[in-house]
Amino acid sequence: MGFKLNYLLSILPRLIGAAAVNIRLAVIIMLFALALGTALTIVRSLKIVAVNACIAVVISFVRGTPLLIQIFIAYYVLPAVGLDLSPEVAGVSAIAFNSMVFVSESMRGGLATIDAGQIEASTALGLPPHAIWLKVVLPQLFRRIVPVLINEATIVVKGTALLSVITVVDVLRTAQQIASASYRPFETMIGSALVFLVINLVISLSGRVAESRFAAARV
Amino acid sequence: MHFDPAVLVDYWPLLLQGAWLTLQVSVAALVMGYVAGIAVALIALVPGWLPGLVTGCYVETLRNIPFIIILFVVYYGLPFCGIRLPATLVGTTALALFASAYYAEIVRAAILALPRGQFESARAIGMSPMSAMWHVVAPQILRALVPPSTNMTLTMMKESSVLSSITVPELTYQSLVVQGNTFAPFEVFAAVASIYWLIAVVIAEASRRLERRVGAVQAEAVSRNRIADRYLSLVARRT
Repeated sequence: MGFKLNYLLSILPRLIGAAAVNIRLAVIIMLFALALGTALTIVRSLKIVAVNACIAVVISFVRGTPLLIQIFIAYYVLPAVGLDLSPEVAGVSAIAFNSMVFVSESMRGGLATIDAGQIEASTALGLPPHAIWLKVVLPQLFRRIVPVLINEATIVVKGTALLSVITVVDVLRTAQQIASASYRPFETMIGSALVFLVINLVISLSGRVAESRFAAARV
Repeated sequence: MHFDPAVLVDYWPLLLQGAWLTLQVSVAALVMGYVAGIAVALIALVPGWLPGLVTGCYVETLRNIPFIIILFVVYYGLPFCGIRLPATLVGTTALALFASAYYAEIVRAAILALPRGQFESARAIGMSPMSAMWHVVAPQILRALVPPSTNMTLTMMKESSVLSSITVPELTYQSLVVQGNTFAPFEVFAAVASIYWLIAVVIAEASRRLERRVGAVQAEAVSRNRIADRYLSLVARRT
């Protein structure tokens, strides 16, 4: 039984079609992760001891447990507490929550590299806190963490493949459906691997372009 | 909705068996993956364009494909090549393959981060090649290796949960079995998440001790500027 390249080429269009699902979900997840991650960072900066202690436990939990288990929790446990979500929504919430924590943690690292003198200057000028966040801190912070965010985007894309386990019809599940009809699982899986490889290489490359743009803008 | 840990009473042995297999698989993949990673890193450092290109493709391919896809490619690929192995072995191999790409990058970065001429300087002050390697070069490489390697090993241990999808009876697989028997998702996943969490915390703590021993202290940058800290620090301290 040799490797059938023609077969692989014949199923690629269907896999690429299914990739639209992964890409759409990944974009939604990244938007939520960015917004929530920024909000979480600002809440943490208020330094309310009890709140930060709770957030630290949540962060440790998210970083210490597999994403797959977090997806199962969203899929099996949330309906039990009365939140009946579709597999897609459950999966998106789980990955977005996970990614939010990683975004906030990378922001923590980025904040440490911002010059303290800028905050002193803004405070001395009497800028209100929301202006200091929006006009001074966040624009620089986002620029600094672009490489990390690009990396996070590829991780999120890879994470969406796990949603096939909770019945979302993405690239992997489409591949499994094709393979169960054609009995050629190896070529089919190579096909889906290629699809993910191309998506993530495009993200990394465009990230590198964006980085050099931002680097130029900073000068 | 009520939380009743008693439903798990009969299933603890199953979950602990799963946790034990998760540990075994992770350790085996750590060893196999690290050996492969060191080999790839050393090949990458060979002068010329070909070794760099080959290892670069290896690393980038494995890092840009979701682990669950790598797992299925290996799972279907081995029989395709006429090799039949038990699922646990297939899963461990796939996990080691996946981890090797990241370990290779870690090892390569640690070697490249070594300041130039350390070995030569040590030789110049009269150290033998062995003791220059042992007392000067090795400690510095080790120091750069420990923190990222721990991170990757934690990631890999967590990724091992994906092996459940090829019926490897590790912790996640057992949790789905128990969930199917008890219909108590809250209790089951709370228990399983706690077990993973415990394993992760233990590994992280062990690594922190190791870091202290090899001197890889990277203290959290604490600025002494209270005005700037209002925005730039996320550490809440009781005053």
